[in-house]
Formats: sequence, structure tokens, C-alpha cells
Amino acid sequence: MRVTSILLKVLMAITGLAWFGFSITHLTANFLILKGADAFNGYAEGLAKFGPLLWVAEAGLVLLLLAHVGSAFRVTRMNKVARPQGYVVSQTRGEATLGSRTMAIGGVILLAFLIIHVKMFKFGDWSGGNGLHGLVVRSFKNPLIVGGYVLAMIAFGLHLSHGVASAFQTLGILKPSWRPRLKEIGFFIGWAIAFGFAALPIATFFFV
Amino acid sequence: MKVTLKVWKQNGKNGQGELKSYESPDVSPDCSFLEMLDLVNNDLESKNQEPIGFDSDCREGICGTCGMVINGVAHGPGHGTATCQLYMRQFKDGDVLTLEPWRATAFPVIKDLVVDRSAFDRIIQAGGYISVGTGAAPDGNAIPVPKENADLAMDAAACIGCGACVASCKNASAMLFVSAKVSHLALLPQGEPERERRVIAMVEQMDKEGFGACTNEGECEAACPKQISISNIARLNREYWRAKLLEQPVRVEKGG
Ligand code: HEM
Ligand code: SF4
Ligand code: FES
Repeated sequence: MRVTSILLKVLMAITGLAWFGFSITHLTANFLILKGADAFNGYAEGLAKFGPLLWVAEAGLVLLLLAHVGSAFRVTRMNKVARPQGYVVSQTRGEATLGSRTMAIGGVILLAFLIIHVKMFKFGDWSGGNGLHGLVVRSFKNPLIVGGYVLAMIAFGLHLSHGVASAFQTLGILKPSWRPRLKEIGFFIGWAIAFGFAALPIATFFFV
Repeated sequence: MKVTLKVWKQNGKNGQGELKSYESPDVSPDCSFLEMLDLVNNDLESKNQEPIGFDSDCREGICGTCGMVINGVAHGPGHGTATCQLYMRQFKDGDVLTLEPWRATAFPVIKDLVVDRSAFDRIIQAGGYISVGTGAAPDGNAIPVPKENADLAMDAAACIGCGACVASCKNASAMLFVSAKVSHLALLPQGEPERERRVIAMVEQMDKEGFGACTNEGECEAACPKQISISNIARLNREYWRAKLLEQPVRVEKGG
């Protein structure tokens, strides 16, 4: 099958939305951190009980991310080739947003963040007392780590503030009358999730 | 009133382009923008200097020939208008206007502000024919079309192929144009027989011409002189993957 621009965009949208969905469940579960070590560790151990099923889900997430990054990379390169020389004077008509202009660089930041994040917690040292909860709390007492997380979540908020509405538009599954509202809803949900994620390290740093 | 023009001068697509300054003569605010350029060119020609290359034809916003980027905005400061529908009163006395051609790999510069938009023609060609009975004019309303679809198809058919969508898109994507052309026929019964074939062929041609891929920013819609809605792009994408799902594998019959 020929890989066309629209197929790449559809792949990017589906995989992006899948990760968007995962990030919502991940955020919900993370709030257990504030409930205390038993609740959070219990949840983590409960997940681990799924064994092979969990591995399949994790492998699926990795594949989805690879497909997202791969299609995003190809689309971005295609777009650069299509406009090698910019305008001397360039101005927007007000539709472009900071999010829409920083999707690629924001994506690269997110990728770096995801690698560090998984290494820090999933493959981190859970044996220092209080299991995973202890590791998370100790990490979030380090101002550098908290600062890094907040910066990464700004990148995430920017990415989603354009990405969520964009993905629905790309898939073309909503009625056109939805579009103006969709832009607003996507913007709001995107930032709400990013704020939620950023709130956890901040709350841990100050209050736990 | 007078304006200063900084015009992109370039010979052919491989030429080294640069901005060159010109002073306009004193013109009436009711002079059209292109008439002002005509007057500048008359001046240049009378002094035996090379005129500014720009394109126009109908000068009433229906042919799509006249596009240029004025101070970073495709078709200049108007809304829902083409360059030829601008008047000097939309500018101020003493303004400095930077004029640049559409910039896209798929639209090579021919001369100064004139670009070759034949990539659009090849996309239309790739779309191919529609199957309608020839002969006497059909009876009105012989083929019922829902009012809503008729309106949407008519809106999409308003596209004049000017290329401002490509020019104003940060990705030089032609998806607004292609989506207008695909929507216009996909919404009507007359476009039904070749519906799947057409969208696949037009999208493949669009890619082959070297246009970018839409990022759903919406700058194209804001620049379009015919205010084509980007909900057409959502329809284009839907038409495309629908066609891909319905696509029949080409069956090769065994010879006898
Ligand atoms: C949790 C991680 C991520 C989520 C939830 C996410 C979500 C999304 C969504 C929903 C879109 C919109 C798709 C569309 O426009 O049709 C998108 C686009 C994009 N993403 Fe991601 N993404 C993530 C990570 C990444 C990473 C790691 C990269 C790159 C290294 C990346 C690069 C891009 C790019 C370049 C686009 C294209 C935007 C455009 O059309 O201009 N994303 N993402
Ligand atoms: S969609 Fe609008 S901007 Fe694009 S070619 Fe058609 S009329 Fe011009
Ligand atoms: S000259 Fe025909 S649209 Fe401007």
C-alpha cells in the first residue's frame, strides 16, 4: 500500500489519541500517590499481577509511540521539503497557536521525558523503603527533578492543546458544526491533563 | 497617496532572488492595488527598466491568477478577497509593502511574483472524469440532491484554485484546495460512480507534486478568498480512508 500524507496523518492521530487516552488513566491512578504508600503500592502490585497481560499492554504502548514518532517524523520532514524557503516577512492570520507551531520540538522534548521517566520509576530502584511510593516521593523532593517535570508538562500541555483537536479533525469523525467547540475543548482538556500531571510533583515536594 | 514597494525579484525557479525597492507614483486611494502595480510598471517601462513580474487575469476575484503575499499575508489584508480585489484605501500613505511570491516547492517561481501553479491542474487531471449522461439537457430536479449537500457542494465549488491556501500554510499543504475539489463532487450523486477512485488518485498526485501535509492550523481557511472551510479537509480525510477501506484489489484475470 502506498504511504500517503493522509495515511501518515491518520496513523499519527490514532496513535496520538491512544496515548492521550493512556495519559488520562495514568493521571487518574497517579493521584493515589497523595493517598499514601499503601494505596499507591497496592495499585502498582495489582497491576504487576496481570503478568504477561501487562507486558502485552506495555509492548503495545511502545509500538504505538514508535508509530506516532515515526509518522510525525515523516510528516514533519515532508512539510519542510514542501517549503524550503520561508517568507522574508511572515505574519499569521491569527489561527496559528504556540502549540501548533511547536508540535515537533515539543514532541522531541516529550520523547526525551518519556525515556527518562520510565527509567527513573519503572526501572528504578524500588528497594529503598516504601517501594515505588518511596521512590517517587524521594525523587520529587529533588527540586531539579520537580523543575524538569514541570517543564516537560508544559511541553505536554502545548502538544495536547493543539494535538487533541487536530487529531479529531484529521480523522474527520465529528460533524463540522463541532469544530469551533472542538478547538476549545481540546485546548482545555490538554492543559487540564498537563496541569494535573505537574501538580503531583509540586504537591509531593511541598506537602508530602 | 504613495507607497514603497519591496518586491521579490527572481528569474526562473533556480534564480537567486532578492528584494528590490520601488516607489509608487502618487495614486488615488480608489485605485486598485493591481492598477497601482500597472502604474509602477508603466513608469519602469518608460525608463527602459524591467517591470515587476506579476500575474492577473479577470481582476474580479474569479480566476485565481493574481495571488501574491503582501507583508506576509497571502492576498494581502482583505478578508475573503483575492489580490485583485484590494484597493489602495486599504493601505496608508507612506506604507512599505513587501511583495513576495507564493513559496512552495510545488509552485516554482517563473518570474518575480509569478509562480507556476500547474501542479493544481495535474491534481485536477488525476481526479479524472465523472459519469453523466450526455445528450439533451436533463430535467431539473431529475436527480434529487438534499438541500444541505447542494449547499456544501456549492460552497466547495467556489474554490478558484488560486493557491493562497498553499502559500499561507506553514507546511505548503494543498489539502484545502484538494478537499474543496474532492468535496464538491463527493457530495453530489453525479460524483458518486468514481468517488473512491477520484479521492485516492488526487491525494497521490498531491503528494507526488511535493505539497506538505495539513497540520490543522486553519491559516489556509483564513487566507482563502472564497472562505473554503477546513471542515472540507476533515471530509477529504474521511473520504480517503473510506475509499481505502472499500478499495477493491485489482483482479488480474488469468489468460486462456
Ligand atoms: C504522551 C505522548 C504523546 C501524546 C499523547 C501525543 C499526542 C499527539 C496528538 C493527539 C497529535 C495530533 C495528531 C494530529 O494532528 O492528527 C500529535 C501530533 C504530533 N506529535 Fe505527538 N504525542 C505524544 C508524543 C509525541 C512524541 C514523543 C513526539 C516526537 C518525538 C511527537 C510528535 C508529534 C508531532 C511532530 C505531531 C504532528 C503535529 C502536526 O501535525 O504538526 N508526539 N501528538
Ligand atoms: S481553497 Fe481557497 S485558497 Fe485554496 S486554491 Fe481554492 S480558493 Fe484558493
Ligand atoms: S485576477 Fe482573477 S482572481 Fe484576481
